Amino acid sequence: MRAAALLFIAVLLVGPPAMAAESVSATMLLETPQSFDGHEVTVVGELIGDYGYRDDGTVWTQLNDDPYAFSPLRDGGRLLGGNVGIGIHAAADLFDGIDPPGRYNRVGPLVIVTGTWRYHDPDRGGETYLEVASLQTVRAGYPLSEPVSPTTLVAAAVLVLAAAGALLLARRR
Amino acid sequence: MLLRPSTNDLRLIAYNVARMLLISAVAGVVPLLWAVAAGELAPASDFLVMIGLFALLGGLGVAWKPATDRLDWSHGMVVVALIWLIVPIVGSVPLLLSGNFASWLDAFFDAMSGITTTGLTLAQDIDHMASSIILWRHILHFLGGQGIIIAALSLFSGAGTATLYFGEGRDDRIYPSVRSTSRFIWLVSIVNGIAGILALTLVAYLDLGFSFVRSFFHAATIFMAAFDTGGFAPQSTSIGYYHSAPFEVVIAVLMIAGVMSFGVHFALWRRRSVMGNLETKTILATFAGTLLLTLIGLASVEAYGSAAGLGRQAFFQVLSAHSGTGFSTIPSAELATWGGLAFGGMTIAMALGGMASSTSGGVKSLRVGLTVKSIISQVKQVLLPEGAVISDRFHQNGPRHLTDELKQGVMAISLLYVALYLLGGGIGVAAHVPLQDALFESISAAANVGLSVGVTTPAMPSVLKITYAFQMWAGRLEFISVFALFGFLWSLARGK
Repeated sequence: MRAAALLFIAVLLVGPPAMAAESVSATMLLETPQSFDGHEVTVVGELIGDYGYRDDGTVWTQLNDDPYAFSPLRDGGRLLGGNVGIGIHAAADLFDGIDPPGRYNRVGPLVIVTGTWRYHDPDRGGETYLEVASLQTVRAGYPLSEPVSPTTLVAAAVLVLAAAGALLLARRR
Repeated sequence: MLLRPSTNDLRLIAYNVARMLLISAVAGVVPLLWAVAAGELAPASDFLVMIGLFALLGGLGVAWKPATDRLDWSHGMVVVALIWLIVPIVGSVPLLLSGNFASWLDAFFDAMSGITTTGLTLAQDIDHMASSIILWRHILHFLGGQGIIIAALSLFSGAGTATLYFGEGRDDRIYPSVRSTSRFIWLVSIVNGIAGILALTLVAYLDLGFSFVRSFFHAATIFMAAFDTGGFAPQSTSIGYYHSAPFEVVIAVLMIAGVMSFGVHFALWRRRSVMGNLETKTILATFAGTLLLTLIGLASVEAYGSAAGLGRQAFFQVLSAHSGTGFSTIPSAELATWGGLAFGGMTIAMALGGMASSTSGGVKSLRVGLTVKSIISQVKQVLLPEGAVISDRFHQNGPRHLTDELKQGVMAISLLYVALYLLGGGIGVAAHVPLQDALFESISAAANVGLSVGVTTPAMPSVLKITYAFQMWAGRLEFISVFALFGFLWSLARGK
């Protein structure tokens, strides 16, 4: 439900310039990448991993639009398969003030990106990625915490104590 | 008739397995400390459970000390096969507790893939996985590649421990004693580790623009996966995540270092040439051949718009396949579309594998070279006049004679690999996977490569998960230890 609401907001937020672009998913781009080569496309997803600030004033990062982007695993989400993501390349100023990317302990910002899909770009050694022209944040990133399970702690304590006993026994023999 | 093992046999096996479980417990402290430092307290408690289990089993086994500590061949083989089963079983505990796996079978599959340096994965949402869990998956690569047995041989003495070394499918004896050889392997790993992690950290920090801590994390994990020809990566998009040719170059160098046998490392350290070795010539020829096939296949369908793009992508993918690493710079969905010659080149590269006594899997170059030499010798025998004497010699760190016994051994293991590839492919087809994909995935698992065309997913049938896990285990140990374990279990049940 929350994922659907986020997608709805994302569609509303897509401005006039982006409306000219075709709205696609990362799965569509990965399954038939050549059919979108050179096309203007819009993708909604979570920024993930690292922001790689290069010397040429650009940033490389990853955009995931899998179920975890809309419903994070450690925030009520369920296991629904592997990640689905694409590489994106953008001018560094588009990342000014943006929240840190998603990782274990945080959900990355959910963004709408519009840009040109580059399939096997001859100028970049055959890489495939989205050359981003515009980036809008739909949902800010936020920190996550995973509570320690008391059952796991008790099991760990019992096992470590039992192991210490077994090692003492071995030493005496 | 098989003899039922005595209590002392069981104690001897348990004692030696236990010593290696204690080493695994110590290895588990590394991700535990990382988890605490990174503030990942839930995964830290998961690691405590695993360390406790390893240490408890190890302590009990060591306490059950045998009357004599002399390992014979069968003991050594059984110990190795058991270690490579028990470590992934216990090592899967933090993976399962992490919440990134749908079932224990999926977590075990991943741990088996890790320790056998395969790289196939059933992990879900890797991009939000705890960094300490990611580190543990890569340490499993290191334990399998460099690791447990070699560490045990370096630390412990005991009559017959050399059988453990050979049980892992290693046959390089660099120094007269296995202990010295094991220490040399550690030395090579440490030197390569320092150089590799430093180089990757520098490229990640200076070229990719990552923070220093993240640069080091990516470097350490990628090093373990590359040098141990494993293939796990810290992000879901594998090496395609980095979008950097310099980073790929460093990884390629590490994959080449990983695919080389430690005998070759030794020779290179001593500035001796290895170019005359049959194994070196074979691997260079098969790499060139499979790369050429892949290049022609991709060029014929105009997959890339530039020679630079074609060369870079084909070279990296074929090197990854031939070395048994399993890294990729392209998505599985795209790899699945590589048909014809490109598919052939990749599949053959995976099936042949790297050098003997390296961490890569597959048939291995020396066996391929010897098989070709044997066939040529047979053809000559037919063509030359009756009674002609044919010299069956080859060069491998000095002149050697290709004896009938050697030919039989080489043929037997090579045929077992082919059988294992076909077994997995057949089960895949029975599970309604298209033939080409089933064959690719089966070879990838059995040759410990880890490349996938999308068959290996959490949704695949359990029978395929079990099949691929078995293929990884049997392929990594080169069959003999696995057969020894089956024989041992049979003699326990039916021996007199």
